[in-house]
Amino acid sequence: MEVADVTTFLADITPFNQLNDAALGQLAGQINVYYYQAQDRVNINTDRLMMVRTGIFTLYSDQQQLLTKLQSGDFYGYQHLLTGLSDNDSLICEEDGLVYWLAADAFHQCRYQYKNVDIFFQRLFSRRLHQYREQQQSSRFTLKISDIVQQRKIAIRPEQTVQAAAKQMSDSRVSSLLVEEHDTLVGIVTDRDLRNRVLAQGLPASTQVGQIMTRQPQHIDRHAYLYEAVQQMSQHNIHHLPVMEQNLCCGMLTATDIMRSQQDHPVYLIGEIHRQTSVDGLERCSQQIPTLAITLSKQQVPAHEAGHIITTITDALTQRLIYLAQQQLGAAPCVFSWLAFGSQARMDQSLNADQDNALLLEKEPTGAVGEYFIALADIVCKGLDQCGIILCPGNIMATNVELRLSLKGWSGRFARWIATPTPEALLKASIFFDMRVIDGSKGLFNALQEDILQRTTEAPLFLYHLAQAALQRTAPLGFFKNFILEPDGKHRQGLDLKKRGISLITDLVRVYALSAGIYEINTRRRLQQLTIQGVLDNKDSQNLNDAFDLLAQLRWEKHQHDLQQGHDVTNMLDPMEISGLARHQLKDGFAVINSAQSSLKHRFCRDM
Amino acid sequence: MFSWLLGKNTALSKHVDTFSKTSVAPASTPVQQAYFLVLDLELTGLNPRKDHIVSIGWVPIRHQEIVLSDARHYLINSPVSVGQSAVYHGLHDHQLKSSNDLADILTELLSQYAGYVFVAHHSRLDEQFLRIACQRCFGKTPRFKFIDTMQMEWQRLLRQGKVVKHDALKLPSCLKRHGLPDMTNHHALEDAYSSALLLLSQLKLGGNSMTLGDLYLLSR
Repeated sequence: MEVADVTTFLADITPFNQLNDAALGQLAGQINVYYYQAQDRVNINTDRLMMVRTGIFTLYSDQQQLLTKLQSGDFYGYQHLLTGLSDNDSLICEEDGLVYWLAADAFHQCRYQYKNVDIFFQRLFSRRLHQYREQQQSSRFTLKISDIVQQRKIAIRPEQTVQAAAKQMSDSRVSSLLVEEHDTLVGIVTDRDLRNRVLAQGLPASTQVGQIMTRQPQHIDRHAYLYEAVQQMSQHNIHHLPVMEQNLCCGMLTATDIMRSQQDHPVYLIGEIHRQTSVDGLERCSQQIPTLAITLSKQQVPAHEAGHIITTITDALTQRLIYLAQQQLGAAPCVFSWLAFGSQARMDQSLNADQDNALLLEKEPTGAVGEYFIALADIVCKGLDQCGIILCPGNIMATNVELRLSLKGWSGRFARWIATPTPEALLKASIFFDMRVIDGSKGLFNALQEDILQRTTEAPLFLYHLAQAALQRTAPLGFFKNFILEPDGKHRQGLDLKKRGISLITDLVRVYALSAGIYEINTRRRLQQLTIQGVLDNKDSQNLNDAFDLLAQLRWEKHQHDLQQGHDVTNMLDPMEISGLARHQLKDGFAVINSAQSSLKHRFCRDM
Repeated sequence: MFSWLLGKNTALSKHVDTFSKTSVAPASTPVQQAYFLVLDLELTGLNPRKDHIVSIGWVPIRHQEIVLSDARHYLINSPVSVGQSAVYHGLHDHQLKSSNDLADILTELLSQYAGYVFVAHHSRLDEQFLRIACQRCFGKTPRFKFIDTMQMEWQRLLRQGKVVKHDALKLPSCLKRHGLPDMTNHHALEDAYSSALLLLSQLKLGGNSMTLGDLYLLSR
């Protein structure tokens, strides 16, 4: 016999909200109800599942440390039921409340009968925030170099003859050879080189490979994504890429390898971009981005990989625009680096990102040099805007005279931020500390990055203010684990997944990265490095990574939803529109941010 | 001598005897150890001599836990039309046709819950109806031990020196005062469940040393 009050409540909470009426009624009929008064201690060493109906219960560790507060819809006892191990925790009623007890038999029966219920409690037990989704097959859209490249290294020494090279190529049936000296890659030689540089030039068969090889060839990391290789090959018009793993060469990736692995890859878009000869052509390419995004989403490509792909496309558009601008304006009067900031730099760009870019110049931007780069920036920024990557409302663009500086200019500017930080200045400046070179000279950029990191690692006052800036906003979680919704101009109340979620993690990870002098820009890679260097402990870093993935995933799905509905893409999420489990995980994610923020405060804002 | 007059009731009346003979725990028993049966009746009217029971719902409390697996709700065949009372309990004649004989339900109640302290909100009414129903069905009236959550609430409020208004003792008001979910809707089982929640809260407020005897006193 079921009591409607109990059934209604169960129907409302995760994971039981997925059961049908009959199953709910059956479950409700197996429950015992107990009333706790404040100060009561809950006997938790029973073989039953505890569900909080009303009231607040506080969980303490055996050291009397407050672990968590349980409230309506929360569970306890599943740990013991799942593992048979009991904790030494104690659970004290803080505010009078009702508790539903479910006997072990009924719990296990429900778990066996409904897979999602089982998954829910397993997940709750491991306190992990991973997505609630079947493990997916590795998608061909996110193949990595390591997935397709053969573990076969065919190399030759530079002092060997071209004839030996030709023989080795024909014996191994390959079109190219790695050239190595003392296990270090010094060049590559392809069948085209033998034709163009040896036969056509009338050189003898005894010519040494070292004389005709391509020195210091473009190469790619074994763990890079395949589309990055496509990107690199298209950009430089090459067909062979040595594959590196930790500075050691481990094989060769050819264009044919890629063709074979994915005939109809939508990221061939990148190849197409590099073939365009006009801004209009690039605009046509960029119109395929939303379709591509939907395809990626249908393939269940995780959000961080999708962000990576979208960033790579923006990079390609930028590179091609710079190329087209140079076609128009002539070669640059000096070496330069085209820089990207913010999400493009971090490689987690979303569909509604705007431009954040700048120019780093070898010479001072005066006279003809200045004129040239004004024109170049104008073509590139307007071109990007035409391709749907809108002009930056905050004017963080290479068209801004303050953002076209020489190495000295940039270095001085960063030095000021770091040496005499003011809170207001840092709020605006923090975006500049996520910086990546998109085109032009890597060396110039490396010099700047080295200069910056050297300063930030020894600047406690700067880190203090940067941490303060990162703590300005908090996760939208109330004291009782309720969501704090905020109104948005156009939209109904919701959670801003970027401002009150993703950005908070990005911001606090940046503080740690700058304090430790870490070169990585991508938030996930920064976390990895921070763990490797022992700045963050493994668990904290993993939790932040999970929370970051979860938020990015929810935002990615929200954007997909907006796209498919034909709405403007926004970051505002109505928590009622996601599943109860996702809500639960979102709360956990926000709780992770809260605790990471308090650690950050503890570490950087203590002695000031 | 007159057993033929009682007819079939002889066999049934032994349930009443067994029930009456099974002693309820002594008055000195701490409330934590007592067994309670919280029940609620929906009626055709308020006069026990003229009106009838249309439905009955109950939930047992053992060791201060409401045991929902033993919760029951029965519709009762009424010898007369439910008439205007349908406005309150929402049960109409056609629903009651396929329902249970009062004697069967009373038999289940008496045989399963001998030794339990019975509980109701405004228990006097429920007790009178049950006694008369047993008299009609079995020719005998069992000795019920009833406590009254409404009466206990009244005593509690008086002790706090509060002025008790007329509406303050109705079940929904009591639930609200105790911060309990209010789902009352004149459905016998829902109301019995709500009264059970109220009793659990009242027992907690009474403190650890409370005995059954204290409850009897408070229910008077």
